[in-house]
Amino acid sequence: MFKKVLVANRGEIAVRIMKACQEMGIKTVAVYSDVDAGAPHVNMADEAVSLGDPTPSESYLNIQKIIEAAQSTGAEAIHPGYGFLAENPDFSQACIDTGIVFIGPKPKVITLMGDKIEAKKIMEKAEVPIIPGYHGIQQDTTSLIKEGKKIGFPLLVKAAAGGGGKGMRIVHSEDSLAEAIEGAKRESKSAFGDDTVFLEKYLDKPRHIEFQILADEHGNTIHLFERECSIQRRHQKIIEETPSPVMTPKLREKMGKAAVAAAEAAGYSNAGTVEFMLDGKLNFYFMEMNTRLQVEHPITEMTTGIDLAKWQLRIASGQELTLKQKDLFQRGHALECRIYAEDPQNGFLPSIGDLKRVEVPIGPNIRNDTGIETDMKVTPYYDPMLAKLIVSSENRHESIDKMIWALSHYLVLGVTTNIAFLKKVLEHSEFRKGNITTHFIDNHFKEWMVAKRKLPIDAVIALAVYDAIHTKREEIVRYKEADPHSPWKHVGRWRMGAGV
Amino acid sequence: MFINYEHENHVYNVTVERRHNQYFIMYDNTEYTVEAEELKPGQLKIKLGDRMIKCVITEGETEKLVFVAGDVFKVKKVELTGAKKTKKKEEGDLSSPISGRIVNVKVKKGDNVKKGDILMVIEAMKMEYLIRAPYDGKVSKINFKEKDQIEIGQITVELTKK
Repeated sequence: MFKKVLVANRGEIAVRIMKACQEMGIKTVAVYSDVDAGAPHVNMADEAVSLGDPTPSESYLNIQKIIEAAQSTGAEAIHPGYGFLAENPDFSQACIDTGIVFIGPKPKVITLMGDKIEAKKIMEKAEVPIIPGYHGIQQDTTSLIKEGKKIGFPLLVKAAAGGGGKGMRIVHSEDSLAEAIEGAKRESKSAFGDDTVFLEKYLDKPRHIEFQILADEHGNTIHLFERECSIQRRHQKIIEETPSPVMTPKLREKMGKAAVAAAEAAGYSNAGTVEFMLDGKLNFYFMEMNTRLQVEHPITEMTTGIDLAKWQLRIASGQELTLKQKDLFQRGHALECRIYAEDPQNGFLPSIGDLKRVEVPIGPNIRNDTGIETDMKVTPYYDPMLAKLIVSSENRHESIDKMIWALSHYLVLGVTTNIAFLKKVLEHSEFRKGNITTHFIDNHFKEWMVAKRKLPIDAVIALAVYDAIHTKREEIVRYKEADPHSPWKHVGRWRMGAGV
Repeated sequence: MFINYEHENHVYNVTVERRHNQYFIMYDNTEYTVEAEELKPGQLKIKLGDRMIKCVITEGETEKLVFVAGDVFKVKKVELTGAKKTKKKEEGDLSSPISGRIVNVKVKKGDNVKKGDILMVIEAMKMEYLIRAPYDGKVSKINFKEKDQIEIGQITVELTKK
């Protein structure tokens, strides 16, 4: 096992990985940019190396600086966390070139899975179902119409270079296909300077279901069941759970096998995730493979009892996976909410500011993965995710109840967060029933606003008490003298500090 | 002690008196007698009859943040002692500093006014507040008439600068 590991990340994930290292007796090295000098992940580490300039490209994305930090501190391995350099094959290669172990898959695999079209080709060969579609080079309208008819309707016309819905059309019948192809091409040309389009089957009631994979370097691959991550805003997950409310033992076995086949086909090692889309008829299709530890990994840990971060370290140091598929099972249900510094009333735009006070809920089966603390600044430099709140229970209903309780006791003052919004989603009757799709937020919370309401009487009383305690005697005198008409003149029997 | 809190453009008038750890709070024609202590800075335990109010308050630059029953409220303290308020106001600002009722409109559209002339009188909490011309100008628009309700921040009168 390694003696010292550098964690090339910040925030909650850096803290979480360092905890795993420290429990295993591994020394930890943090890297940090100027704005993170006093951050929890720095305070937690045994050593910390400054990366200077907070701009991501100059700090957490700077391969050279991070490799140098590992070399100067004598770290034998680097854990990339998620985001930043986690899925950058050049970084993984740079580690290998300098004799440092990259905790994750081989650069070749990262490159392969990063190419969405290549990845799908490999999956097709391995007989993992992929969404029927056309990703070919014949781009004239006649050929595309022919391919479209083969796929069937409804179908999706997508810009190859696309993103954010630009150059995207849903087509319900053959009649409107030609027009949609031409429209998508025009839009794509003007937005991305490239008019290549793909055709794909459009899924009804789509769910995002992914499978956790662990693979060692000795040819053993297992899956650790599914996570349902359908609740998303701006194509980013905000609530995840396991097991999925639609999963059946039979479907789980089928999808689990496909996930393992996908990982094996890619030559995968270490922890990874195979993402599928599941339609209303429970057909599943391979979407992509994430070659890293996922943000939502804790719900798998809560229901299997397996520490994924520790297994990443063991696998990277060459140990064999001793977990066998047949011995694995899930117990109960777990939910995760991502606490973001963002304003749900304003298009989920990130919010920044000073965290005046942070207090997280504590209770049975409540886990807090956080990288924030009171008096910290939330800066515009990095991802606005502040923390994750994870709960587990006997069943889904209890988990929802527990999560609502925990969110109600989650105190973040100073920066606008999505906590109230998360609570509203959990309280929604369709969420409770498990009727969720990737369109859930758009369908039910399109123009969501915090209900305009009066200050509750409890808040008025609390404010009055607070101000009575904190107003200094001199201030009152000053007010009185300053203004002969001041209402302070009429305060009557009130005396500050009386009896103190 | 007389305090005005502003939350989402509404003003809450509260009177509070303290005796030992007892607080007498008058709000909306109701008196609440509570016992309270500050457990940690900003963290209050308040006993109202048999009911416990748990709450945390922190002070921001201009507002107080109140966490009660899982919700966060941003509240400002409004001072109605006129002299103080005018100092804070920006030069040329004709927005109402308080939420209240228009009791008098002193000008008509098209009137020429001199800096310091009274344009409008607003009453809130039984006190009058005067809107004065911040510069010489001509009245181009009057947004409120007598007895209208005005909210904090709304523009009273529009003046074309001379």
